[in-house]
Amino acid sequence: MIGVYREFEGCMRLLGHVLRRLPVLALPPVAESLTRQIYFTGASATAGIVLRGAFIGTFIIAYVIDVLDANAALAIKILVWVVLREIGPLIAAVLVIQRSGTAVTTELALMQISGEVASLRRMRIDPRDYLVVPRVLGIAVSTAALTFFVQVIAVGGGILLSSLSIEASLGELVSEFFILASPVDFVYAMIKSFLFGAAIALVCCYHGLHPPGTSINAVPKAAINGVTQSTLLVLLLNVVFAYLVFGQVLFGLVTAKL
Amino acid sequence: MSQAESTAQRDADPAASPQGVALGYEAQPDRANERVWIPIGGSHRVPCLSEFRRKSLVSAVLEVNPGPQARLVLLGVDVDGLRPAGRAALRERIAYIPADGGLLSNLNAWENMVLPIGFHHPRQLSGVEAQVKGLLEGLAVDPRTLLAKLPERMTSYEKKLTAYVRIALEKPDLVLAEEEPGGMDPAERAAATRFPAVYLERCPAGTYVQLEVASGH
Repeated sequence: MIGVYREFEGCMRLLGHVLRRLPVLALPPVAESLTRQIYFTGASATAGIVLRGAFIGTFIIAYVIDVLDANAALAIKILVWVVLREIGPLIAAVLVIQRSGTAVTTELALMQISGEVASLRRMRIDPRDYLVVPRVLGIAVSTAALTFFVQVIAVGGGILLSSLSIEASLGELVSEFFILASPVDFVYAMIKSFLFGAAIALVCCYHGLHPPGTSINAVPKAAINGVTQSTLLVLLLNVVFAYLVFGQVLFGLVTAKL
Repeated sequence: MSQAESTAQRDADPAASPQGVALGYEAQPDRANERVWIPIGGSHRVPCLSEFRRKSLVSAVLEVNPGPQARLVLLGVDVDGLRPAGRAALRERIAYIPADGGLLSNLNAWENMVLPIGFHHPRQLSGVEAQVKGLLEGLAVDPRTLLAKLPERMTSYEKKLTAYVRIALEKPDLVLAEEEPGGMDPAERAAATRFPAVYLERCPAGTYVQLEVASGH
């Protein structure tokens, strides 16, 4: 219990440091590190996400049509509710944890164990400024971008499949989508994904900088801690967001069109 | 400034004024053989009694904190009475080269060289490329063969050279360097002995201190 509290406190301190030290992003080495992180987490992950996104969208539509014997309107409604609001951010977060979460934790843990973090301190560079700030921002921005990409691919794939399998033209489905989807859905998903990304990066950076030992065996342990805890945190944040949104629905602030 | 190397006087009077002293360290007042007293300017070799003593000295200097019962003088200032801001200001004037160069493994030689200057003096980055070329050519190294290399592909000499260029760009007043690691051939070892001279050409008022662990310990 004390360990959990210590890790939570450590992550919160790291978050405070990141928020206070955002101006270091103007320094050339940090800006370069940010660019690399966005490239690694965002740009180079897009190929993998195309297939996943298309599968998710077509799978949801095929399932809904088959099981619920749905018409075009219901299929599109489910696509909007499930993919735009929930599945898109979660798929992007899982992909980021798989690729960047493990990479960041392992890299930082190795740097800590091999003395490279100490080397930064000897150069009077705060390791949190150089290693954590660009990673947190880079991963947060990339997760939001990947979410948008997943949404576009999944919705596009879903609509395309629907047009082939139910009695509705592609044009009808697209216009139905634009009637049902609101910009608020995109904004909600973007904010959620940005926070997912920031949470993943913070937890992974914390465990990377605090490996449970000084031998090489501590590296995989740090990676396991980073991945499991960031997954839990993402799910917890998702619950909080769902509560906020549906709580508002319950209080009548948002009218759900069922 | 003479570039001839001198061995630090261990038996100098530690009670002397810190004026003119680049590095003065006295781990315990009653142990005269653990004193280091180096004047400002030139290149010096400091034989440490053991690896532990060397680490203690390096740690005291880099933290600008001698620890209990110890005395530390840096660049003419006795650090005992210094406030944290004064210690930080003093620390900015000191650079350290570990035996393995202390490079970051995911940055190539060029990125390793310019990392501290990009962090502490970003406005000076524009003129750095010419300075690096000048430094490397002065040491008879072709920049094209070195600058794109990652540390995993560098020899011990190239790592040391990269670390050396990194600190030379910062022009610190005091350089603390650990002795060369193994794995260098005689030509590289000879070339590495030119580092202090090139540093002193760039920083005539600077002091270059090479730490060695005395043989037999």
